[in-house]
Amino acid sequence: MRPDFPLPDTEWEPTREYWAAAARGELAVPRCRACGAYAWYPAQSCPACGHSSFTWTTMSGRGQLFAWTVVRHAFLPQFSAEVPYVPALVALDEDPAVRIVTRIVDCDPTHLSVDLPVRVVFRPLSFPGIDREVIAPYFTPEQG
Amino acid sequence: MPHPAPDWGHATTYEDVSGEIAVVGVGESDHTRASGRTSGQIAAQAVERALDDAGLLPSDIDGIMYAPFAGDQLDEDAFHRHFGTSQEMWVSKRGGGMVWAATAAHEAALAIREGRARHVLNTFAVAWATRRSEMVGGPGESHAQELFKQSLEVPFGWFPQPVYFATIAQRHMHEFGTTQEQLGAVAVACRRHANLTPSAVMHGRPLTLEAYLASPTIVDPFRKEDCCLISDGGGAYIMSASDRARDLRQPLVEVAGVGLGNSDTGVHWAEQRAFTSTPQVFAAPGAFSMAGVAPADVDVLTLYDPFTIHAIMQIEDMGFCAKGEGGPFVEGKALDHDGGGLPYNTHGGLLSHAYVLGIAHVVEVVRQLRGQAAAQVPDAAVGVYGGYTGPQASTVVLRRA
Repeated sequence: MRPDFPLPDTEWEPTREYWAAAARGELAVPRCRACGAYAWYPAQSCPACGHSSFTWTTMSGRGQLFAWTVVRHAFLPQFSAEVPYVPALVALDEDPAVRIVTRIVDCDPTHLSVDLPVRVVFRPLSFPGIDREVIAPYFTPEQG
Repeated sequence: MPHPAPDWGHATTYEDVSGEIAVVGVGESDHTRASGRTSGQIAAQAVERALDDAGLLPSDIDGIMYAPFAGDQLDEDAFHRHFGTSQEMWVSKRGGGMVWAATAAHEAALAIREGRARHVLNTFAVAWATRRSEMVGGPGESHAQELFKQSLEVPFGWFPQPVYFATIAQRHMHEFGTTQEQLGAVAVACRRHANLTPSAVMHGRPLTLEAYLASPTIVDPFRKEDCCLISDGGGAYIMSASDRARDLRQPLVEVAGVGLGNSDTGVHWAEQRAFTSTPQVFAAPGAFSMAGVAPADVDVLTLYDPFTIHAIMQIEDMGFCAKGEGGPFVEGKALDHDGGGLPYNTHGGLLSHAYVLGIAHVVEVVRQLRGQAAAQVPDAAVGVYGGYTGPQASTVVLRRA
């Protein structure tokens, strides 16, 4: 395993643009140049039309909470200081079939509900003993 | 079918093999916490017992199926080393547990039909309790190694399997009103069966619904008892042509139907369009059709059950009840071996028997249909195992001949 696991390898080609966009404060998803469908997770060919050329497209960063859980036990030691935390799937407004795995922050989990409007916020990911951090897309409830 | 099949997946086309082969021998290793043994050693113990059960010699085995992952498995070389044999073997790496504990029967039937083997062994073992500390996230290791998960999921703590399936369970609860008490009913039924099964890891450890509900959640809505064991163990079964099987030691248990279902919406759980369904939607109808049975004909059901929600989802998706009604369906004593409407995981399953990824589920169904089970369902004639990996699910229907 990479020594900086569980940080993402931001140079791994299939998701390099995702992390590069996050570093700029943008949420980007590949969009098929032929049919315009969003392809998530990134794929070699478009699941809608089979075309194999994509443009990483900046999204609004708005979506709805599709599902979440509250993790109270650290299954990896690197998450010992994080529990309890709230990993979640967010369905993006532009195409709810695009579900982003993220974490919900700045919210009491008892206030969460399915389809709650949420928006992206960018925060550093860091883990104990790893001398590097990565800016990552988290989500938080849309206010008002 | 009153409704068209959903469009998010498909069934693999299988040749009709109904009745062609039988399961003639079954065996399990000792099921333990960390044992210090290798998975190959554990598998060999299960195979010795399956041979003994069948009344066959190691030299009779001329086909072997295993899974080329999860540590060292008993491949043909290891088999020959262990038993001191040297016969030619037909070999398939599409055996083992999980989905393949069911689909191995289809591939074995074709191999036997084509004369490539007479007695085919399928085997699987894990030593993950022993190896747990060296694995990233324990049994989550294969997921931790998957590069999309490494990049897009693990950094956010959406890892390992308890976290995936707690999220799915939360969504199922939202969509259908499934309750914690209904999840608990699955855990309690499995424990009750394990307490009747001396080989079960959780034998002698009773569980009531009240105790379940009083325990803390570790990843909402799951408690410890919603999650499978991590244990060392293995299992094996031997398949032979039905006409040969009649001359062997055990009562005849035929393979009546096999099906395989596949999701077409990616391999990651976040990509599943039908987030709260399993590809049993596509697997079970083919297996039941090949067997000429309906869900109502099933006397005993075993399901690959890493978490309680898997029982509820697969019971729905295989047609034992309507989608969304799995929660009410499993309440109370519904899954009990003695008087339940659908006797389920009568050995205790992955939750309470042993974490051997489905191979012991098939062994249990065979024992039920022979009348040899510890928690015996009276007069069981039709038994089913449902396997699951995520993007695939499988069904095998076994029948007392």
